[in-house]
Amino acid sequence: MKKKKMIISQSTMDVDFVRKVEALSGTSVRRCFQCGKCSAGCPMATFMEHPPNRVVRLLQLGQWQRILAGRSIWYCASCETCSTRCPNKVHLASIMDALRKLSWDAEGPSKESYVQLANKLFLQNIRTYGRQYEMRLAAVFNVKSGQFLKDLMLGPKLISKGKLKMFHSKNKNLPEIEKIFTRIEEMRKKGEAL
Amino acid sequence: MEFVEFKSMKSTNSMNSTNAMNPKKAIYNMNETLKYSYYPGCSLHASAGEYDLSTRELFKQLSIGLTEVPDWFCCGATPAHNVDELLSLSLCAKNLEMAEQVEGDLAVACAACFSRLKTTQHVLAESDVKRKQVEKAIDAPLKLDGKVKHLLEILARDLGLERLAASVKKPLSGLKVACYYGCLLTRPPDVTNLDCVEAPTIMEDVLKAVGAETVAWSHRMECCGANFTLSRPGVVIQLTNAILESAKEAGADCVMVACPLCHGNLDIRQKEIEGVYSVNYGLPVFYITQLVGLACGLTADKLGLGALIVNPMPLLKEKQLL
Repeated sequence: MKKKKMIISQSTMDVDFVRKVEALSGTSVRRCFQCGKCSAGCPMATFMEHPPNRVVRLLQLGQWQRILAGRSIWYCASCETCSTRCPNKVHLASIMDALRKLSWDAEGPSKESYVQLANKLFLQNIRTYGRQYEMRLAAVFNVKSGQFLKDLMLGPKLISKGKLKMFHSKNKNLPEIEKIFTRIEEMRKKGEAL
Repeated sequence: MEFVEFKSMKSTNSMNSTNAMNPKKAIYNMNETLKYSYYPGCSLHASAGEYDLSTRELFKQLSIGLTEVPDWFCCGATPAHNVDELLSLSLCAKNLEMAEQVEGDLAVACAACFSRLKTTQHVLAESDVKRKQVEKAIDAPLKLDGKVKHLLEILARDLGLERLAASVKKPLSGLKVACYYGCLLTRPPDVTNLDCVEAPTIMEDVLKAVGAETVAWSHRMECCGANFTLSRPGVVIQLTNAILESAKEAGADCVMVACPLCHGNLDIRQKEIEGVYSVNYGLPVFYITQLVGLACGLTADKLGLGALIVNPMPLLKEKQLL
């Protein structure tokens, strides 16, 4: 990746975005003093172009576009190691959640599409079935991501062991679940929730 | 209090030969019966059916009441809080409200559901803004006082290690187990409150109570890659390989987990991992309820041991546990 020179000035720092992240996550990025404990313990840091401590540093500098353009936030496994070990109580796992939400809502420019696709299908499954329908989740994921042969060899084995069900009954609370989804959508439309 | 009872009983019932020989037994029968509402979670009704089965059978064996919350739905797991915290909190809050209508604390088997439900209680107790939003989303008053407990807590604390040890019919002697905690049982500590966050012992305690040996190993709290198993299996293969390698090096015969997702990665993907790294682990991966159930005298059928992908039968036969 070609590295762009970073120019820090009032015009390149978007502090409003950072405030939004802080409000959503309920934690302050300004508390971080870059000890790097979060990145040292992060199991996913090797897969990220910006390790966790750099994500916070970029936020401190208002350079959020760089974070959202990359894959880092989608490669966070939410294992909570960073939040647990932070000496300054920066809840980094919540910051990651907030960044993903903002990127998700903006249908952001991230290159990481597989994780987003998996998340989308997972949430759709809750809305349609109430509980996870793993067979459908895996099958639709393979079709939509174009990886038709992914884990194909696992399928028959899982079915024979009773681990993958072909059919799935819908939950009786489905209308209630649908209401939760629509109420949240309405609240967002009215600006009552982020 | 139990101790006082124990002493008085010993002095008054000294004539009774069974009590004199095994005084603890008499006290355990006098204890109150435990009753829980039960939230299995989606995996336990699908890919982790054997965890559900063994939990129900074990609790029946230990005379612990378990009533499933009727029509519970998905807690949202990682994907919901990843992109929509409000949705995640609302789904969990509604499930918690439904669980209140069933008697007893809420018993949760899945580490991810446990984490989400507890996080919801924690976040909503702290933030007025979020509480109001969630109340509006579920259109019902919030009920956050109910206790959410993982099966491990119930076995180790509510039932207690002594009572658990007293129920053992076939100690798992000679079985060397690597206890794998994974991420969400202990982290973050102020939310889950399960055990020490960097050096927990609750799993080892339970296993020692049923006679098994536990090994000291490095990767018991490392992440297995969790739900990347669907979107980025390469990540899971790399992380899970490190876990299996560490367990094998420590001399374990098998791994024990308390989370269906960890189980899926360690068990279902093990063969694939062995292929990728040209190694041979052959480590059966058990759920905690399966190993404890085995010690309590339950049969392989009742524990769903046949559903495990890495066949545990040769190991169990070798150790004469079947």
